[in-house]
Amino acid sequence: MSENDSHSGQSICPVSIRDTSEKIDHRNLLNPPKLTGNPVLTASEVSFGYGQKPAINSISFQLEPGTLTALVGPNGAGKSTLLHLLQGRLACCEGCVKCRGSIALMPQKAAIDWSFPITVQQMVKLGKTSRRQSREGSSVEQLLNLVGMAGMESRRLNQLSGGQQQRVLLARALIQESDILLLDEPYSAIDPPTRAHLLDVMRQQAEGGQTLLVSSHDWGKALDSYDRVLVIDRHLVANGTPTQVRNTISEMDNVMGDCCG
Amino acid sequence: MALLVGSLCPAAGSLLITQRRILLANLMAHSVLPGLVVALALEVDPSIGGLISGLIGALVAERLNQRFRGREEGAMNTVLAGFTALGVLLVPLLKARIDLESILFGDILAAGGVDLVRTGVAALALVLLFTTRYQDLVFIGVDPEGALAAKRPVSQIRFIAIVITALVVISAITAVGIVLVIGLLCAPVLVHVERSTSLRNLVLKSSCTGLLLCGGGMMLAVLLDLPPGPLIGVLCMVLLFLRRP
Repeated sequence: MSENDSHSGQSICPVSIRDTSEKIDHRNLLNPPKLTGNPVLTASEVSFGYGQKPAINSISFQLEPGTLTALVGPNGAGKSTLLHLLQGRLACCEGCVKCRGSIALMPQKAAIDWSFPITVQQMVKLGKTSRRQSREGSSVEQLLNLVGMAGMESRRLNQLSGGQQQRVLLARALIQESDILLLDEPYSAIDPPTRAHLLDVMRQQAEGGQTLLVSSHDWGKALDSYDRVLVIDRHLVANGTPTQVRNTISEMDNVMGDCCG
Repeated sequence: MALLVGSLCPAAGSLLITQRRILLANLMAHSVLPGLVVALALEVDPSIGGLISGLIGALVAERLNQRFRGREEGAMNTVLAGFTALGVLLVPLLKARIDLESILFGDILAAGGVDLVRTGVAALALVLLFTTRYQDLVFIGVDPEGALAAKRPVSQIRFIAIVITALVVISAITAVGIVLVIGLLCAPVLVHVERSTSLRNLVLKSSCTGLLLCGGGMMLAVLLDLPPGPLIGVLCMVLLFLRRP
């Protein structure tokens, strides 16, 4: 994806999903503090539906360069759909997405065939073949070291644990050296030490200038590790720093249940 | 002929199993029958009729899969049975002079030069696909959605794979017949798929195993005075039990 690329609303979606009966509750919308610098990604009134069923409705937000943002929401909130829209796998029914730079997506584990005959090294290299082959960058070994998979280059995919699978997916996403990295439920079914390690890696990437958006339906104390939090439930519920969002979310236990911290 | 088919079918099977399209291959194997019968009745090359019929069967199945999402196996098995039945019905209707038994179960001893050429063309097409599109095949197999997002030509490659599958199936019918070709596509691959470290590795190992299977099956058939096609089919099943857990 080139700089200043955008994919605006197209007539691909077979049905209009603007549901006029569903009003956004503005009491729960935070006015995000004024952001400095040029946003690296801007989503404006993004809406999408699967057939007759609306998935997300009029979501707008910006991502600043070098930030680590959490995208949280309950099951069915539209987190994966939003990430796929941002990356361009899906076309917005309404609204548009503008970005400066390239976008990579780390998919959910379920999207991968882990029984395919391939080694960890070859799996990570698949990310390199998709773009920017000519640029010098991190080698496969360096990235596997970074994600805690050192020495496992020749391990087959079907020999990996759940946590190791997530690490490999992250390495494959990182090797693309994109400006923006979207991560779809990277903490799914992994233990706390692996989760902490992945979060450390993401923080390092953000400090290095990459912009990360991490989706998860977890809602733990780890949220404080993020610069900003977006809460969605088919529409944008809250957008701000972890503290700002937590103050607002305390009024909305029905959104996150007892997991709100 | 047996050796060529024995190495070709597992190579194609490696592709189909890793792309999770093996049911489609079985469907195509049965879908060629109406085309074979029509071609023989019209006195044209039966492989042309079989190829067209096999492709039509695949397209019909893909269309029904869209209609019956989540129940694709039922739809595909119904198409499989329907095309087989259509082929059997066409024999008396077109008064086609056809040895149904040899088509269903193979007659390797009847293979001629034309069959060898046909098999050679299928083998060449498969080798070309693997050598020119290897990375794409791996990407599509591991992460089909990612391959689409990375602008890989997924639909084109899948279509090419379907056409090549049809060629391979038609070639294998002479050796093992419609009913048994699926065993040769699957068994040598299944014993190696979990231990292979790459698709290339899987293709080579499976092809070697298929070669031994068919060669051994032929020799055993001669020794025991049994039809080679069904014997190879049984050996495919035995092979799965011999695989170390």
